[in-house]
Amino acid sequence: MVKFTADELRRIMDCKHNIRNMSVIAHVDHGKSTLTDSLVAAAGIIAQETAGDVRMTDTRADEAERGITIKSTGISLYYEMTDEALAAFKGERAGNDYLINLIDSPGHVDFSSEVTAALRITDGALVVVDCIEGVCVQTETVLRQALGERIRPVLTVNKMDRCFLELQVNGEEAYTTFQKVIENANVIMATYEDPLLGDCQVYPDKGTVAFSAGLHGWAFTLSNFAKMYASKFGVDESKMMERLWGENFFDPATKKWTSKNTGTATCKRGFVQFCYEPIKVVIATCMNDQKDKLWPMLAKLGVQLKSEEKELMGKALMKRVMQTWLPASSALLEMMIYHLPSPATAQRYRVENLYEGPMDDVYATAIRNCDPEGPLMLYVSKMIPAPDKGRFFAFGRVFAGKVATGMKVRIMGPNYVPGEKKDLYVKNVQRTVIWMGKRQETVEDVPCGNTVAMVGLDQFITKNATLTNEKESDAHPIRAMKFSVSPVVRVAVQCKVASDLPKLVEGLKRLAKSDPMVQCSITESGEHIIAGAGELHLEICLKDLQDDFMGGAEITKSDPVVSFRETVLEKSSRVVMSKSPNKHNRLYMEARPMEDGLAEAIDDGRIGPRDDPKIRSKILAEEFGWDKDLAKKIWCFGPETTGPNMVVDMCKGVQYLNEIKDSVVAGFQWASKEGALAEENMRGICFEVCDVVLHADAIHRGGGQVIPTARRVIYASQLTAKPRLLEPVYLVEIQAPENALGGIYSVLNQKRGHVFEEMQRPGTPLYNIKAYLPVVESFGFSSTLRAATSGQAFPQCVFDHWEMMMQDPLDPTSQAAALVQNIRKRKGLKEQITPLSDFEDKL
Amino acid sequence: MEFEANYEVDRTADYIYSHNFTRVALQFPDELLKDSIRVVRALRDKLRALQKCNDDSGESLVEGRKDVGLYVMADTTYGSCCIDEVGAAHINADCVVHYGHTCLSPTSTLPAYFVFGKASINVADCAQKICTFAKSCNKPVLVLLGLEYTYAMHDLKEALADEALKLSTSSSKLDISCASVLSPAVAPPEEKTASNGQVEAVNNLSGCPEAGDAEVYTSYNIGGLTWRLPHGQQIEDYLVFWIGPDNSAFANVVLTFNACEIVRYDPAERCLITDVSQIKRILQRRYYLVEKAKDANIVGILVGTLGVAGYLHMISQMKELVTKAGKKAYTIVVGRPNPAKLANFPECDVFVYVSCAQTTLLDSKEFLAPIITPFEAMLAFKRGSQWTGEYTIEFRDLMNMPSFGGEIGTDEPRYSFILGGYAEDHNHEENAEDSEEELALAVSTEKVLRLRDEDINVLAKIGPKSGAEYLATRSYQGLDIHHDGSMPKPIVIGKTGRASGYENEKTR
Repeated sequence: MVKFTADELRRIMDCKHNIRNMSVIAHVDHGKSTLTDSLVAAAGIIAQETAGDVRMTDTRADEAERGITIKSTGISLYYEMTDEALAAFKGERAGNDYLINLIDSPGHVDFSSEVTAALRITDGALVVVDCIEGVCVQTETVLRQALGERIRPVLTVNKMDRCFLELQVNGEEAYTTFQKVIENANVIMATYEDPLLGDCQVYPDKGTVAFSAGLHGWAFTLSNFAKMYASKFGVDESKMMERLWGENFFDPATKKWTSKNTGTATCKRGFVQFCYEPIKVVIATCMNDQKDKLWPMLAKLGVQLKSEEKELMGKALMKRVMQTWLPASSALLEMMIYHLPSPATAQRYRVENLYEGPMDDVYATAIRNCDPEGPLMLYVSKMIPAPDKGRFFAFGRVFAGKVATGMKVRIMGPNYVPGEKKDLYVKNVQRTVIWMGKRQETVEDVPCGNTVAMVGLDQFITKNATLTNEKESDAHPIRAMKFSVSPVVRVAVQCKVASDLPKLVEGLKRLAKSDPMVQCSITESGEHIIAGAGELHLEICLKDLQDDFMGGAEITKSDPVVSFRETVLEKSSRVVMSKSPNKHNRLYMEARPMEDGLAEAIDDGRIGPRDDPKIRSKILAEEFGWDKDLAKKIWCFGPETTGPNMVVDMCKGVQYLNEIKDSVVAGFQWASKEGALAEENMRGICFEVCDVVLHADAIHRGGGQVIPTARRVIYASQLTAKPRLLEPVYLVEIQAPENALGGIYSVLNQKRGHVFEEMQRPGTPLYNIKAYLPVVESFGFSSTLRAATSGQAFPQCVFDHWEMMMQDPLDPTSQAAALVQNIRKRKGLKEQITPLSDFEDKL
Repeated sequence: MEFEANYEVDRTADYIYSHNFTRVALQFPDELLKDSIRVVRALRDKLRALQKCNDDSGESLVEGRKDVGLYVMADTTYGSCCIDEVGAAHINADCVVHYGHTCLSPTSTLPAYFVFGKASINVADCAQKICTFAKSCNKPVLVLLGLEYTYAMHDLKEALADEALKLSTSSSKLDISCASVLSPAVAPPEEKTASNGQVEAVNNLSGCPEAGDAEVYTSYNIGGLTWRLPHGQQIEDYLVFWIGPDNSAFANVVLTFNACEIVRYDPAERCLITDVSQIKRILQRRYYLVEKAKDANIVGILVGTLGVAGYLHMISQMKELVTKAGKKAYTIVVGRPNPAKLANFPECDVFVYVSCAQTTLLDSKEFLAPIITPFEAMLAFKRGSQWTGEYTIEFRDLMNMPSFGGEIGTDEPRYSFILGGYAEDHNHEENAEDSEEELALAVSTEKVLRLRDEDINVLAKIGPKSGAEYLATRSYQGLDIHHDGSMPKPIVIGKTGRASGYENEKTR
């Protein structure tokens, strides 16, 4: 069945202008995988007839079962284009053979990390948007991410079949809907002005927008029709294309083009007249089995069916006819080849995003030129479980040089620092492999510009890494990926049988590898924790862990655990003091909440320990109203030296203060990691050192005396400043028809959520609701919602912000106090919060 | 009279007298210190009496035998359950009598006599409760008890046998065995074994069959208790009863036999406690500490005993282990550790506490860095070793464990659950090999130079690999020596008064 061989594929890999690396991105259920199938079918990997039903790239059983994509899957496709199809192509090319490395990615927010990994190794993106639902939250998220990675998008308006069969809208309505969808997408793209990438908005009349029906395997761009009509009207193709979109109207009665609707019955918009209507007619004819009318029509269009295909009836006939007339693959492929950049083109501007080192060194140059003779630069973006249990393929993209079977490579992990030996390994690549459909083919080597999977490196790579030649010791790594979601939902796992623990440990290691986002860790009380982006993500992870990575050994999981943060509401009611164990040293401190937005600025890295103090104090002074001198007196950030809390020195003329700074910092790092309420991380607290009294003898004011004291005084100041808990909150987007709104509101109410935006999608009966929902309440939210709306509403949750819980956790009757007690119990701590008197001392 | 019985004055005097000790140190824990004077008085009277009666019988071997010197020792440097040999050496004692709770760890130089004391117990009630409970679950029973109940051991055994007989039916028979207590007199190991630092195995937790009746029994030994099980039977098959309060000795037993079902009889409350989940929690926590220790760069070896036999050997073993793992080890002696003392060594990422079994589990949130036992250190620092649930507390058992010596090497990087990724273990040997002799100096100099001018925070993230590097990252590195010839500051009048409130602060 497969029409091409690995050798053919390998040959084309050398032609860097004839390669397109692209990912398919979209909101969940907009038809990525289905559309991908059409492309795979055209490459001869699956039969044309089944295209649209197989979902080739959903290789896992659970993906097929749930009907969603979970893992991103890469496929290399090989096409031979005809000369005429390429006639108008202006760019560089070598022959008519093209290699498309395509990555199908999941649309559910919980798996956004897979999309991030896919985007890194591609240069172009096919953005799929449902023509009815339009641009949704996830479309927006991934699109922004793509543009951030300097990935050029093209758009396809999908599920056209719904227009014709389900909704039966007329041409003008359809046009308005499409126009709106494209506009919405362009609004997002327009915000990214990048001189190197150029204008990345999409225009149907430039051929960067396609219209497709993935399920039925057909698609067109305006150029398809323009070609058809160009000769008829005797105008050139590009002129025709312009007429097929926008405010161009044609009246067949007068045979005139106008830029306004003349109002006569026969005057219709170019797009409607020449694209929409003909398709509508063909589809209607097929569906009604009016074969006598159909055959002459097809003959006119130049569509020839095989005799057995002529026997088909209804939908099957329609599908077949449309596939033959407007095959999805040729329209989409043409669009990709014409409008998406080749690696050679893309790497010229992407190098700045990719490479961490200086832009003028040999590695940057090799990436920029996509030089197969240059030093190897390869980014491993994800690990793919291999057929033999427990092993992984390292999957990535070669940006420069070549990677070959048996080659010795330097593996630079995410913590590698040039010049150090940390996180650095030199190992042999056992095999280099490329994906052809579901099969893997071993190839001798893979040159730059291509995606590749490698065997034998999995033991040394956790999630991602940069590979170079063995000797290239001065190469910098390729920049790490930034994920748009964070792992906020966590469960503790335990094995049922105690002796399975080594299996669990090994399984967790593998799980951590197999997913770019999941975090496996261990709590202070010795429980293994799996953290994921959402409920669904966790569910999939647990299933993988038990079935694939632990060989079916049984595990138990706790209820989902949400982490909270501790903060303060006001400035401490008084300056608190703690004495050192020997009573000879005293620290005076106060806590106060940080200014609005400051914690977020620290999170984003706009303000951090590594900033130039001058720039830092400028930002603090201008945006947050800090005193300029004070901004210079920040001692540290914490926890982990980068967190959103800080210690500021407010003392005046204290002797030996410099000596205890390190000790206070150590105490602060410790305390800010485990707050006084429930030993959760602190957030948004600024601690001010007001005064310090120290023993004159250095031995009596050492770390041993000061570190525990600093911790105590920080707790005391936290407790006197109206401590509060912060809980994580999701942004939920729900799309549903009007009659489901009641159900949505009642579920949201019951779950402490609140709606802040409700909008009807123009031209559709659908409503788009945006709400905030506490993460704690989100477990089981989507199933409750589905039940309450009889399956019409489907939520997408993504972590948005931390919200303060207004009840006082120190008031034992409050809900917050109960919550604190629960957390403390879970952590095996004393259930009551340690009283202030344990931390604060009196003179 | 009860007082003397409680403190076993007669037997102690006999022991001292029969061994001809002349300078005897009496070691009291804090809670018994109040009785020390009465004990000394009673003991002296008794010894005098013995002497006198010997003199009377005319068999005095030593002419003009002097009074035995009795010295009270309190406030021991380390755990009060161990013999304070260093303290005893101050007065040149040739024997130590230890009162109160003990771990019965063997001593390294001095002979010792242990007085366990006598805690009250209702033997009948205890036996009845145990037997009733044991009947409900069809398992052979093993009874262990706290050393303070040793005196009641004989009665208890009889009571148990009676009770078992009463409850036994033809179909089921209660199989009850009891552990026995080691002799309260402990002598240091033989000279020749002590000299080469190796100590004979005292505990056989691994259960190697003993010589003699080798085929028949496996013997176990923990915290002064010893028992034997018929060969082929595992301790896991038994239902274990512990008689005594919930103290460190009990924790020791539960952690060591964590796979067994253990029920505790509390003599004070007269009830059975079956829930030992708190202890399982401790085990989980220890597991976390092991994982955490794996990420440590600098390890402090904390000396927690100067008496328990083989401690020197253990310390050197630990040093070797840490160095082999590519980490830096520092040996620290601070007496009984507390948070303030250990916080003076902020560079240590983890401490390994080498001490007797009952004081070695130190886990408090107050400590800046975790404190682990030598067994845990072995799990953490030896590549390829895995936490299987098996747990050993006494370091002497560790030395006999087959896996302790050899190196299981894998070149796979280690996955750290704390960091959530692979962590490189710095190999010091590796550094040495790739730089040639002359270059080595240059390389290390370069490193030091770089350390100083690079951003402090970058380094802090990586984590210093030795004390010197840690110092380099500190903002304060000790007093600066001013070379600009500035005049020393004039003397000023300091604060007066007490530290709890100086005189000039009264108003505050």
